[in-house]
Amino acid sequence: MTHVIEVEHLTKRYRDTVAVDDVSFSIEKDTIYGLLGRNGAGKTTVMSILTAQNFATSGTVRVFGQHPYENARVLERMCFVRESQKYPDDATPRHALRMARLFFPHWDQELADQLVDDFQLPLKGRTIKKLSRGQLSAVGVIIGLASRAEITFFDEPYLGLDAVARQIFYDRLLSDYAEHPRTIILSSHLIDEVSNLLGRVLVIDRGRIVMDEETDEIRDRAANIVVDAAAVEAFTAGREIIHRRSLGRTTSVTVLGRLTSDDRARMAAAGLDVAPVSLQQLIVRTTQHAAEQGGVSSSLEEGALR
Amino acid sequence: MNRTLRVVRMQLINRQTYVWVPLLVLGGAFILSVAIWWILAGSGVTGNFYGGGAQAPLWYLAVVGVQALTLTFPFSQAMSVTRREFFFGTYLIAALSAASLAVVFVIGGWIETLTGGWGLNGYFFYSAEIWQGGPLGAAFIFFAIAMLMFTLGFTGATVYKRFGPTVFTVSLIGLGVVLVAAMFVVGRLNAWGQVFSWIGEQGPLGMAAWGLIAAAALAAAAFATLRRATP
Repeated sequence: MTHVIEVEHLTKRYRDTVAVDDVSFSIEKDTIYGLLGRNGAGKTTVMSILTAQNFATSGTVRVFGQHPYENARVLERMCFVRESQKYPDDATPRHALRMARLFFPHWDQELADQLVDDFQLPLKGRTIKKLSRGQLSAVGVIIGLASRAEITFFDEPYLGLDAVARQIFYDRLLSDYAEHPRTIILSSHLIDEVSNLLGRVLVIDRGRIVMDEETDEIRDRAANIVVDAAAVEAFTAGREIIHRRSLGRTTSVTVLGRLTSDDRARMAAAGLDVAPVSLQQLIVRTTQHAAEQGGVSSSLEEGALR
Repeated sequence: MNRTLRVVRMQLINRQTYVWVPLLVLGGAFILSVAIWWILAGSGVTGNFYGGGAQAPLWYLAVVGVQALTLTFPFSQAMSVTRREFFFGTYLIAALSAASLAVVFVIGGWIETLTGGWGLNGYFFYSAEIWQGGPLGAAFIFFAIAMLMFTLGFTGATVYKRFGPTVFTVSLIGLGVVLVAAMFVVGRLNAWGQVFSWIGEQGPLGMAAWGLIAAAALAAAAFATLRRATP
């Protein structure tokens, strides 16, 4: 596997908060990544450091084997339009697209024109600062797709887009990716909606990477079991339970660990419902679980210090 | 094509900021000035009129300097432009804008001397002091002032963006303190006479040269600040 991005011990500290906390990961070429996590988890910070828009407090970032900072040859192969992107005053969408065309070597004007049509983006007559939130997102999405950069970042690209427009984005992304494979990093907190696009998932929580896996592997990693309250122990013995909810006499537990065919046969015989866990559920449960455990250990540490 | 030149082209895609608005400001100020002179002349007031309206586009350049940083810099980052390319491209377009403005001022001043102040003795572009060194000297002075205005806006905005409002305000106050302290020292030494005679010796051309040097120093400071600024 070729790695286009390599990050080692990346830390970003703002005055009194740690936005990114000693993170190491690498990004494979021509793969669609989901950079998932809650608002404020550090997604945008990581992406802006990778594109040299922001600076690391410590640690190293290599893109195509080089440092991206002030490195035009590396930067022109990347595209990162942030969610709160600012545009020149008085610029219309038409201006912004013509500017983007100047800078991205693989820019595809035909694709850009088609996307303008798809998103029904008004090109002239209205400046970008007067656009609706959805139209503003569309400008960023069009630049991101039409630039065909070797590494493209999409930062919460769906904000303000309606369901139809979001589907257009997902469809166009997939079809263009199929024709022109490239590395795409899609930051999102709407996990289920994008989960079908993703080849790999990076979950970031409170500045730490808590999951870095292939999407298919993650789906197998856990299962939802609906079981009679009295029988829970029998079926979950030796397994890590990341979530438990009781309703009357039945209990729904989410257990970690792949279920063997033996397990499945045994559960089927007992008349239990086994359902796959959605990516979103799994990630939410895992981050909650990690937070609880983290919370316990940190309060213990505090206790020890006192 | 060189990426720095692409930044210049980027700035010119929307001609509003660097071409139409400065012309509009200048044209508006000019028409208002001439109208006022015409009214005055009509009510019997003669003699030479001088308008300060020609300064308007120079002030506007300070605004352009601020916006170049607060809005165009973040966008240039999304266009994968390095900070160095952005800085030099932006200064190139500012110099182009300042030079065009200087040409307009010189042509305007030349017309005014030929027509006796538009037949009204009204001088919008021309002033004897600035034209001491002929049209080229006048052009140089206009260019220097325009670059200084742009740089004041650009450098101020860079400091604000990088270090936040507190540091920005403190450095403005610091600058004021230094100026007041300098005035105090000059007063204590009874040296005001010397200061003014030095300024007189420099003449408008010399002062413009000093202004350009100050602009270059400020621009260098802005570049150093921008190198670590985030959009």
